[in-house]
Amino acid sequence: MKKVLLLGFFILTLQVVCQSQDSAWIREHYYKKEVYIPMRDGVRLFTSLYIPRDATQKHPILLTRTPYSCAPYGPDAWKDYWNSYRKAYFREGYIMVTQDVRGRWMSEGTFVEVRPFNPAKKSSQDIDESSDTYDTIDWLVKNIENNNGNVGVFGISYPGFYSTMAAASNHPALKAVSPQAPVTNWFIGDDFHHNGAFFQMDAFAFYSSFGKPRPHPTTIGPSGFTYYTHDNYKFYLETGSLKNLAGLLGDSIPFWKDLYAHPNYDAWWQARDARNATRHLQPAMLWVGGLFDAEDCWGAWNAYQAAEINNPGKAFNKLVEGPWYHGQWASHDGTHLGNIRFGDNTSAWFQEHLEIPFFNYFLKGEGDISSIPEATVFITGANTWKSFSQWPPAQKQDQSLYLQQGGGLGWSRPASTGGFTEYTSDPARPVPYSEEVHFNRTREYMTDDQRFAARRPDVAVFQTDTLQEDLTVTGSVTADLLASLSTTDADFVVKIIDVFPDNFGYNDVDIYAEKDPDKIYPMGGYQMLVRAEVFRGRYRKSYTHPEAFTPGKMEEVKFSLPSIAHCFRKGHRLMVQIQSTWFPLVDRNPQQFVDIYHCSEKDFKKAAIRIYHNATGSSRLILPVLKNE
Amino acid sequence: MYKRINKSSKRAGWLVILLIPMVACNQTRPTDPDYIRENYTKREVYITMRDGVRLFTAIYEPRDRSVAYPILMQRTPYSCSPYGENNYPGRLGPNPALMREKYIFVYQDVRGRYKSEGRFQEMTPAIDHKQSVSQVDESSDTYDTIDWLLKNTHNNGRAGIYGISYPGFYASASLPEAHPALKAVSPQAPVTDEFIGDDCNHNGAFFLLDNFDFYNYFDGPRTASGQDYQPVFKVPHPDAYSFFLNLGPLGRANTSRYFRDSTMIWRQVVAHDTYDGFWQARNIRPHLRDIRPAVLVVGGWYDAEDLFGALRTYEAIEQQNPVNRNRLVMGPWTHGGWSAPSWTGFGGYGFGSDVNRYFQDSLETRFFNFYLKDKGSEDSTEATVFETGSNQWRHYATWPPRNAVPTAFYLQTGQGLSTQPPAANGGSDSYLSDPAHPVPYTAGAYGDRNNQYMIEDQRFASRRPDVVTYRSSPLTQAITVTGRLRASLFVSTSGTDADFIVKIIDEYPSDPSGTGVGVQRLVRAEVFRGKFRHSYEQPAAFVPNQVDSVSFDLNEIAHRFEKGHRLVVQIQSSWFPLVDRNPQQYLRIPGARETDFKAVRIRIYHEAEFPSRIILPVMQ
Repeated sequence: MKKVLLLGFFILTLQVVCQSQDSAWIREHYYKKEVYIPMRDGVRLFTSLYIPRDATQKHPILLTRTPYSCAPYGPDAWKDYWNSYRKAYFREGYIMVTQDVRGRWMSEGTFVEVRPFNPAKKSSQDIDESSDTYDTIDWLVKNIENNNGNVGVFGISYPGFYSTMAAASNHPALKAVSPQAPVTNWFIGDDFHHNGAFFQMDAFAFYSSFGKPRPHPTTIGPSGFTYYTHDNYKFYLETGSLKNLAGLLGDSIPFWKDLYAHPNYDAWWQARDARNATRHLQPAMLWVGGLFDAEDCWGAWNAYQAAEINNPGKAFNKLVEGPWYHGQWASHDGTHLGNIRFGDNTSAWFQEHLEIPFFNYFLKGEGDISSIPEATVFITGANTWKSFSQWPPAQKQDQSLYLQQGGGLGWSRPASTGGFTEYTSDPARPVPYSEEVHFNRTREYMTDDQRFAARRPDVAVFQTDTLQEDLTVTGSVTADLLASLSTTDADFVVKIIDVFPDNFGYNDVDIYAEKDPDKIYPMGGYQMLVRAEVFRGRYRKSYTHPEAFTPGKMEEVKFSLPSIAHCFRKGHRLMVQIQSTWFPLVDRNPQQFVDIYHCSEKDFKKAAIRIYHNATGSSRLILPVLKNE
Repeated sequence: MYKRINKSSKRAGWLVILLIPMVACNQTRPTDPDYIRENYTKREVYITMRDGVRLFTAIYEPRDRSVAYPILMQRTPYSCSPYGENNYPGRLGPNPALMREKYIFVYQDVRGRYKSEGRFQEMTPAIDHKQSVSQVDESSDTYDTIDWLLKNTHNNGRAGIYGISYPGFYASASLPEAHPALKAVSPQAPVTDEFIGDDCNHNGAFFLLDNFDFYNYFDGPRTASGQDYQPVFKVPHPDAYSFFLNLGPLGRANTSRYFRDSTMIWRQVVAHDTYDGFWQARNIRPHLRDIRPAVLVVGGWYDAEDLFGALRTYEAIEQQNPVNRNRLVMGPWTHGGWSAPSWTGFGGYGFGSDVNRYFQDSLETRFFNFYLKDKGSEDSTEATVFETGSNQWRHYATWPPRNAVPTAFYLQTGQGLSTQPPAANGGSDSYLSDPAHPVPYTAGAYGDRNNQYMIEDQRFASRRPDVVTYRSSPLTQAITVTGRLRASLFVSTSGTDADFIVKIIDEYPSDPSGTGVGVQRLVRAEVFRGKFRHSYEQPAAFVPNQVDSVSFDLNEIAHRFEKGHRLVVQIQSSWFPLVDRNPQQYLRIPGARETDFKAVRIRIYHEAEFPSRIILPVMQ
């Protein structure tokens, strides 16, 4: 133990030394400048520039546009790029640019959440994020000395959204864009709703601070909400209905009111789909996503796919998906998430072999990108990177896995009549999304052990026999449920789980050992969450026109889960869990067909939910199974 | 939250583990084999009992022959290893101070275990008024051993006995018809009655996880040398909940894969599913009469095995011996925790000081020194009890203390709890108890029993639909509860049998500073198997959906619920896999088949006619 500690100390010291060396090098070879760049409508956006002192050659520009501030402000306050792999871009001589988007922090103008893309701008007053990017790039290439005329844009999460919008600007100098975990659609799959179900905890935590008005440019961010308890399950359960939750915020947060005003997928939401901006894309595109991204997992897969469909024959529109939490690919440690290990440092591999070569090639004309395939996807479970010439892979075959009587899962449709599994979903005792009492939404829940849920009476569990050979699933699993309710609405949470064998264990010491020797987790029998998704039942026919269930009547609830790339190993089992709450991640469905955003506490009812698995009601999963090449 | 898996086999198996850190931690107090070797000689003997059976005994005598020392003995079914006259253990006696005090320390393998001859019996039934030399029990074996030791060692004519857990039982069993030289006995967490409250069953509910693991280890075959036992079977269960759920009914363990042999103790304890002659013969309490030695009973509030035994052994001696020198120590310990080098906290709660220093030096050492060596003064405190919550040692002239007033806290409509009896009729809560999804006794995944479950945050259970939770308002002043708890429930079930688990919880106030606050700290939990509500000998079915009463004790606590905290009661009908699943149909559970296990609707009433309540002795 002491040896481990000493080694840890040594590494830490080494890192500090390296960082201070990097910091000194960057400060010596760069200078920082802050400018206001005027947009076509006269609004000026605050922009922070880190420019190489080296005037002997011309440099490419790498831009990130952000609502999260290009802090630190002031010409002498430097962003700590040296703590990130992005220091590599300094060594490569990039001009590094960060801009506060319109209406945030030090930029002028009015901020609009996920501002709709305007494909037909008619005047200089018709602005959107795309035109702001165009005007910014135009200014940069004309005003920064020694730039080589090539601009790249990248960003993670909300900045990923601005990256998609940047690509749509089609400024001729813009050669390469990498939207990473791009916010793409906040109703269907990213951040605040998944299939119409409200991700109240993320939304509240975010908007109680981010959503506050910023009347004037400022370097000071908004304050956050003060919670009376740091037990999030207790907080949201005791707060109760969404009406009560809104009451905690008052009326100071415009977007919160917008969310409540648009419960369904109406024109307002449709205008805020970033896929609207994926037509006629000129720059090379490298879409990046995390298989275990709790925020914008959906966006990466689906924005890539939209760009693929909307730009047939486009030379470089490629996809990278790794085993990552939100933004983990830009971190130092891509070896594990929660209890699940990935073998190597997948983040470092991505940085060195994909992102940096991508920009170097398109912005500096250096290197080779021929080794970057159409899709570079990490197969979890097998823990290997795999290259695909298309996504979903050509070798995938859809296979139905049927729910069976007695908690089974099998490849054949049940022959018996009348089989179903019933559970009671009680909004007063919702199923927790994570076992531990905690405050901030965890990112590890995406790979967490689901044994705690399997033990509950309100979670239906189905599993295969022990697999006799590896089963690799690449793509989007479809849940095709036949269900009936005792009430008029319900949520359906479907979880795809890899059940590890009882004798499973990682060979070496516990990953937390250096921090806490007591933290060793029993991996034998681990129920690894591979993918989970919620579907709000009322949207089973249309996201735009919700429809009540008829109590007792069997209906189909069919939806697709964000893609996975996972190998269920021989000796493991594939498990499916179905439940109707996922709390407090998702708001509670009152289980009545009422306006969820404005109903009251007494509208919440218990519902008996039946999932059918018989000859006429054959609930199943459709798995895109990767066949051997 | 996820703690290292405890390798805590039942009944002080883990004490073996405890001994190892002794060497490393206790630098200032030499406890290593070298110290013992320098100060003690060792010999191994077979001592012949009255029926001719010879018991293997290891004797460690002080090298100093200038003084005649008293004898301090432990009798054990867990081996008096290390064997061999040149092999010394890491410590001698109940604590390091006593080792330095110097006693003749004696360890004996009980009849039929390890290197002793004879036939082992689980919890050897005591025989009162023995008629012949062929009638032997632990009392007679202890008597004969002491008799031999008095004649064959350089002693002062006095003997003491101590032991934790199963050895605690042997300490208790030495008391009836004790040898006149036996002056001081300390039964510590003594196994006392395995149907009502210790180890095997609590109130007739079978402690599945402990029994399965314990008897696998304890009842395995003895090797030819007598030095080792092998487990009966090797089946790892990294997640006990899944393992036992998949195992199914109890009968599935009576197979060639598990407890293959029909004579195995597991088979017996499973088969005796009522308080029949088998269990009654193994209840030592009726035999604790005419006790002459001084007695110091020791127990731990967080003892998952023999909390009952400590409290009820003390009580039995007290009630059956109007004149006695019988005293009680209860501290914030797990099973045997008082023998660890130090004990400053448990389960994330600090106790403000090293309670073991106090116990070992001021209570245990003083006890043996006074009665065996005439050294120091007699401690006449009747009960020395650590009050949790306030973290104070309390000293009482009676146990339970006289100024504790039984106070009923009634379950209320709307999940409330207050001292007001409900005035209205029609109040009840129900839950579906489904044996296919039993309530876990602990959060997280554990292979072995999570030793911290007795103090664990119960929020994981509050979130389940098959657990009902009743909370008082925030307390306007602190209340201290000291003494025996009782649950008095009015219930109905749609089946014909059910278990009732009642938990008494201290809920800390919510506060924005962290997740630790708002914690629902378990203070006490107990299970009752409903069929025994009238009698442990004569179980009776429930009439479906008819209100019935179920009342039972939850042993004592000494806990202060601070001002601003809430008193919380939880009720549920499974506690898995700590306790086996009740099929919820009235039948013999050892013979139940998988299809016999039914989900039932349990209703807990809280109305004027049926006021379910818990009764807490509140200190005035």
